[in-house]
Order: sequence, then structure tokens, then C-alpha cells
Amino acid sequence: MTPAVRNNLLGALGLIAAMALVPAVVGERYLLGEVIVFMLWASVAVQWNVLTGHAGVFSLAQMLLFAIGAYGVAMSTTYLGLSPWLAMPLGASASALAAVLIGLACLRLATAYVALLTFAIAHMVLVLIISETACFTTIGGGCQRFFGGTSGFSRIEDLGFRQSLRGNWIVGNYYVVLAIFAISFIASIIVIHGRLGLAFRALADSPVYAAARGLNRTRSRIVVFVITAFFTGLTGAAYAVHFRTAGPSLFDFSTLLFILAMVIVGGLRSTWGPVLGAAVMMILVEIAKDMGEIRNMMVGAILVLFVVLMPFGIAGLGRRIAARIRNATSKGAT
Amino acid sequence: MDAILQIIISGLTLGALYALGAVGLALTYGTMRMFNMAHGVFMALGAYGAYYVAEVLGMPLVLALLAGILTGGIVGALLHVLVVRFMLGNKNFEINILVATAGVGILLQDVLLKTFGGFPFRQPVQVSGAVDLLGTRVPWQSLLILVVAFVLIGAMALVLTRTRFGMAIRATAMNRDAARLMGVNTVNTYLQVLIIAGILAGAAGVMISSMATLSPEMGTNPAIRAFVICVVAGLGSVGGAGITAFALGLIEAAIQYYIGARFGLPILLALVVVVLVRRPAGLFGREEVVRS
Repeated sequence: MTPAVRNNLLGALGLIAAMALVPAVVGERYLLGEVIVFMLWASVAVQWNVLTGHAGVFSLAQMLLFAIGAYGVAMSTTYLGLSPWLAMPLGASASALAAVLIGLACLRLATAYVALLTFAIAHMVLVLIISETACFTTIGGGCQRFFGGTSGFSRIEDLGFRQSLRGNWIVGNYYVVLAIFAISFIASIIVIHGRLGLAFRALADSPVYAAARGLNRTRSRIVVFVITAFFTGLTGAAYAVHFRTAGPSLFDFSTLLFILAMVIVGGLRSTWGPVLGAAVMMILVEIAKDMGEIRNMMVGAILVLFVVLMPFGIAGLGRRIAARIRNATSKGAT
Repeated sequence: MDAILQIIISGLTLGALYALGAVGLALTYGTMRMFNMAHGVFMALGAYGAYYVAEVLGMPLVLALLAGILTGGIVGALLHVLVVRFMLGNKNFEINILVATAGVGILLQDVLLKTFGGFPFRQPVQVSGAVDLLGTRVPWQSLLILVVAFVLIGAMALVLTRTRFGMAIRATAMNRDAARLMGVNTVNTYLQVLIIAGILAGAAGVMISSMATLSPEMGTNPAIRAFVICVVAGLGSVGGAGITAFALGLIEAAIQYYIGARFGLPILLALVVVVLVRRPAGLFGREEVVRS
């Protein structure tokens, strides 16, 4: 284990331990719910940063992969009567499988092609879902379309905490989501600072030399796409069991950009940036709620401002300040 | 026979709409390696511009159409002056500009939503009625779309090939540094390119809204078609984008007629993937694609 992995892992464990104490301090259900949402989006942002910041794959299909995880849970619990605990890894695997297919189709191509194709694929799936008209079964007297149609799935079976913990069910959900956030974040650290991350640094520095040394760019990109898709899908599955719904609103462009803003604000190519960015964006949106419906405008403005003024986000700014301090002190010493 | 004529007419109309949308995108990518995610919202802005002039100010339709086109051009210029100018030459320009224009897109779409409301309504800037042509009824609006598309795209082609200013654009697209050494002001060239792309998008928006309805997100679907067309043609290939647009328009019309409207985009995308597996740089692309 290299020092970089060890230090980041220790930091991550510290963060997770602190997060584990939150329910002991915070009793309000609303606030706990907000922290759960933060952990879900942070997990998606973390995976997106691995993919775009480190592997250089600008995928716009992240919410599609998230939705596949959520729909996987919704459909396997509704139609097959599966336990949600079993359905979550199943949904995540479905995302990973989808990523294999999308990856084989797109990842040989150059940056802009990848972005456009993944965007088009996500939109195509949305169109197929909302244009479905035939009923698959009837549930509770209502028409249930196979992929849920425009209304999606509701009243998905929960994790059973409403029975075992009664009024405190949200605490049970909190720890499940925390566990998934923890796995996702730790996995991202291992990928970024491990062999795959090294391969991508080499490919970014000199694609030709890296390829000459036997690095297969397309294969590395597909592997990282599938890994991140698994965890993105797992997060989507957790979303479905927590909110007990999954529907086409998951594909909203505004949600995609909200999470992209977390990645950009926190800092592409960092390790901790997306977590920080997710916290910042959640707080900003919370403040903006009092000012009316300005969330989308704010997200748009923040994206533009950060890309123009601070393309490496808060983490990049931190790195630059640290470097300047180091320079100043070393100059002072000589 | 009748069905085939119908398919050809609606295919050509679709193709003309797609070409209006895609050619501008291809031009911007070809000259500055910039992909504009806000392109769909530019279309919507053009459509609302025409609507505003016709409905609220009560101007004649021709002026309203011009106003829509002008709106697109102005928004393109503003995008350059306020955002793109500061990002030229940055590291990671390609990813950053995608993010920035996506941000601009959602911002402007929200402005439209706040100004005009979310309910779709009818575009007044259109002609009604139809004419009999070879035994099939052809709506005047379809013919108008074809004419507008040919006039605008033809004008753009003339400008690009015949004028000094078009030569400067093409020189910048071929080799930015060499163009600058020859005295081309490439920053100005970028401004001009974004204005041209905006004009085409504005016109596309007015025409698209006349076939469907006006709504803030009306540009999303056509913009995705335009993305797909640019990718198939090979990013940056302007002529290729025009040809591909008409080809895909005809294919889509045939799919909609024989299989169903729902499967238009999915089958198109499947075709696209097949094309890209064979030719990773697109049909007309001459660009390097990093392979390993």
C-alpha cells in the first residue's frame, strides 16, 4: 500500500466515522434526510470524477447508469418479489452490464464523441420509457407499464426498518446509504491511487509512449467505466429503496448538471473534491430555496463561473495555495 | 408509390431541419474544437424571438422570421463575448467548453421558462395550407422549410468558399497557428463562427416550432439529432453534416412510417454505433482518433 493510498484511506475512514455519529447528534428527520441525499449525490459525483477527471472519459450517461440501478430494484421487487437487499446488488450489476455495452460502443472514440453519444443514448432510453403505452400488469387497480411509463414505480418495498425501528426508520436507511457511500468512496481512492489511476496518468502524459509500453487505452477506459457504473448503479439502487420510487424524472437534465456542478466545483482530477463539491452545492441549493425557483439558474451560473475562473475547482485552488506556501517557505530557508 | 412520395417529402423536410441544426454545430467544432451543448436552447431562443415579434409586437411574419434568426445570431455573439473568449487556449478546452455551454444552456432555458411559462403553445410564424404535387398533398410549411434551409445553408457555403472572411474561417479550421501567422485574427474568426452557428440555430428553431409547439425544452430533441448527425458525419465536417442530415431525415421518416415513431431515434442510434465501429472518425471525418 503506497502512502498516498494509506493517507487518503485514513482520511476517508475518519470522514465515515464522523458521518456515522451524525444520527446520534441530529434528531430531526428532515436534516437526516438531507444528509442522506448528500451522501447519494456525493457518491455519484465521486464516481463521475474518477471517470472524467482521472480517466478522461466525459460521460453524460451517469444518470442513466444511476437510473438503471434504481429501475433494477424497482422492477425486480415489483415483478419478482425479490427482497430489496438482494435487488440492490442486482441493480448495480445491471448498471455494470449496461456500461460494458455502452463502453464497447463509445469508448474507442475521442472526447467530444463520447460525450455526445452517451448523452444521446441516455435520451433514447428516456424516450423509450416515457413513450411506452401498453400495460404490463395492473397494480392496485392502476395500469403498470413494464418500465413504468411516465409515472414510474412507486411504493417500492422498503428495507424493513419501518417495522423494526418504527419511528426511527430513517436511521436504518441512513446507515445503509452511509455504507454504500463508504464503499463507493473507498473504491474510488483505490482506483485513483492504484494501478488503474497510474495507467491513466501515464496515458494523459504521453499517449504514444504509454501505448508503446503496452497500455491498452480502450480496455483501461472500459474497465474503469464498468467499475464506476457498478457503484453509480448501487447508489441508484439505494436511492430507490430510500425514496421508494424510481421514475423518468431521474433523467432530468437539471439533475445531471446539478451533480456535474458538484464535480466541477469540488475539482476535477482530485480525490476529495467531489465530496466537498457535493456539500457546497447542497448547502447553496438549501439557501436558494428561500429565494424562489432559482436552482437551475444558479447551477448554470455556477458551472460557467467555475469553468471560466477556477477550472480545477476548490481542490485545485487548495493545491495552488499549498504549492505557493511551500515555495515561500523553501525560499525563506535558503 | 403514394407512401414513398410521402416518406420522401417528410424525410426531406426533416432532413432540412436537421441540416439547419447540424451544420452550425459542425462549423463551430471544425473551427474551434468547441461543441456547443446550448445549441438546442439557441433554437428555442430563436423560436421565442420570432413568436415575440409576431404575437406581442404584431409585426408581419417575414420580419418575425428575420427576428428569430437575428436572435440566434445575437445569442451566439454573446456566448463568445461573455464566456468562450476567456476559455480559448485553456488546458482541457474540449471538456471545459462542454461543461460551460451545458451551464449556459440550463441557465437560458430557465430564463425562457420564467419569462414565457412552461406550457407549450403554437408558433404563429408559419404558413398554412397545402399544395397538390404529383398527386400528394404537400404542406406549404414543408416547402418553406426547404427553401429557408437551402437559402441559409447555400449562403453560408458561398460565404465560406467565396469571400475573404470565409477563407479566414477555413484557414483557422485547417491550422490555427498558420492562420494567425498569415495575419488572420482568429479570436474574431471564432466570434463570426459562433454568430453564423447562432443564426442557423435560430432559423432551425423557428421552423421546428412551426412543426411542433413552442416550449422551453423544444430544442432538446432536435439538438440531440444534430449531435448524432455531427458524430456520424465526423465532427467538424460541415458538408458531411449537411449530407448526413438529409440521409438520416429520410431514414427516420421511413422508420416512422413502417415501424413507428417511437423507434425512430433508437434505430438511428443503432445505425450510428455500427457506423462508428467501422469508422471511428465518422463517415466524412478526416480527423485523428486516438486508437490503441
